[in-house]
Amino acid sequence: MQFAAGQLPNALGIMAACHLEVCAQCQARVKLYDRLGGEILLATPGVAVKKELLSGLLDRLDEPEPVIATESNLGDIRIPRPLRRFVPGFYDQLPWIGMTRSIKEFKLPISDAHYTAKFYKIAAGSELPEHTHKGNEFTLVMDGSFRDKAGSYSQGDFILADHNTVHQPKADDDCDCICFAVLDAPLKMTGFFGRMLNPFLS
Amino acid sequence: MSHERESGTLLLDNLIIDIAKHRDRDAFIKLFDATSSRLKAYAMRCGSNDSDAEEIVQECLLTVWRKAHTFNPQAASAITWLYTIVRNKRIDLLRKDRPDLIQSDDLWPEQSTQTLEKDVESDLNGQIVRTLITGLPDEQRQIVYKVYFEGKSHSEIANELDLPLGTIKSRLRLAMKKLDTLAKEQMTWLIIILLTNF
Repeated sequence: MQFAAGQLPNALGIMAACHLEVCAQCQARVKLYDRLGGEILLATPGVAVKKELLSGLLDRLDEPEPVIATESNLGDIRIPRPLRRFVPGFYDQLPWIGMTRSIKEFKLPISDAHYTAKFYKIAAGSELPEHTHKGNEFTLVMDGSFRDKAGSYSQGDFILADHNTVHQPKADDDCDCICFAVLDAPLKMTGFFGRMLNPFLS
Repeated sequence: MSHERESGTLLLDNLIIDIAKHRDRDAFIKLFDATSSRLKAYAMRCGSNDSDAEEIVQECLLTVWRKAHTFNPQAASAITWLYTIVRNKRIDLLRKDRPDLIQSDDLWPEQSTQTLEKDVESDLNGQIVRTLITGLPDEQRQIVYKVYFEGKSHSEIANELDLPLGTIKSRLRLAMKKLDTLAKEQMTWLIIILLTNF
């Protein structure tokens, strides 16, 4: 609903748009919320506009339509459209930074006051240390699949984890799993060895 | 009153179609008169100042003139279409010259003009949604409005209304559940109407 209202923070809006590309059920919901927006518009009492606005507008009707170069036409078509402008190449060309051998990350250049946006790559078949989250983590599976004790997730699936979630995700064996994650606070390791890493996670 | 509004939205549909077919300036002026003050009020309630709000109105109506041919009354009513345009213009004005922020084009890609099979929104549906909003209890309606206009998170709304976060979430969930139920009922109605027509 906040997405249809155009009120989501930058990073979350991008994530919602990526999920929507593939989810018919959510597309239908957005349609409904758009309609609600229309009705709210209709119910809003008007605020008078300046008289010159109409004449200024009529003068502009014959202006040629500006050609806007949509950056999303560039970039790799295998990446969801809303993300393309932020990603320099396909997943295998990104400057991944290794946290450990099993997980690497790429920080996306998306500005957002509250949220950090990242790609995670979990190597095929590997399991991450058990962890929880200090805040909310929104994850969208972009490629491959992974599972934790709550279920298994594949391309297009959307997962919300928070401080109540303690899990140990494991990528399926067939290929690396790439996830798009938006977080408002760092991970918190819960296993014995993992805890020692906490001061270094940001 | 509701009858008046019903014919009002139908009028908007026809104006946009006239603009698309005949590049009809008179229709455009009528559309301006019917919608500009509401569009401005929407932008201002979302936090724009007076001059930004007028720029948003101008950009929005210019887009209507240019994109009228993509308006599909079977897919969305005129007011819903206008809402999506004004929402996008407001975002784009805020995010102008910021390549690190996403633009509305990427968030809501232009719909293809092709009509989807199940995608029928009639005036009946518009009326149902309208009845629904007016039928929501004040406490739920207030929160829905805050989501659309103020971009506040659930916890900010909770602070502002001095209510527990759980209450806000459950009220919003109730409102959305009603909407969803209605959407389903609409499908049932649609099927009944289709069946009786054949």
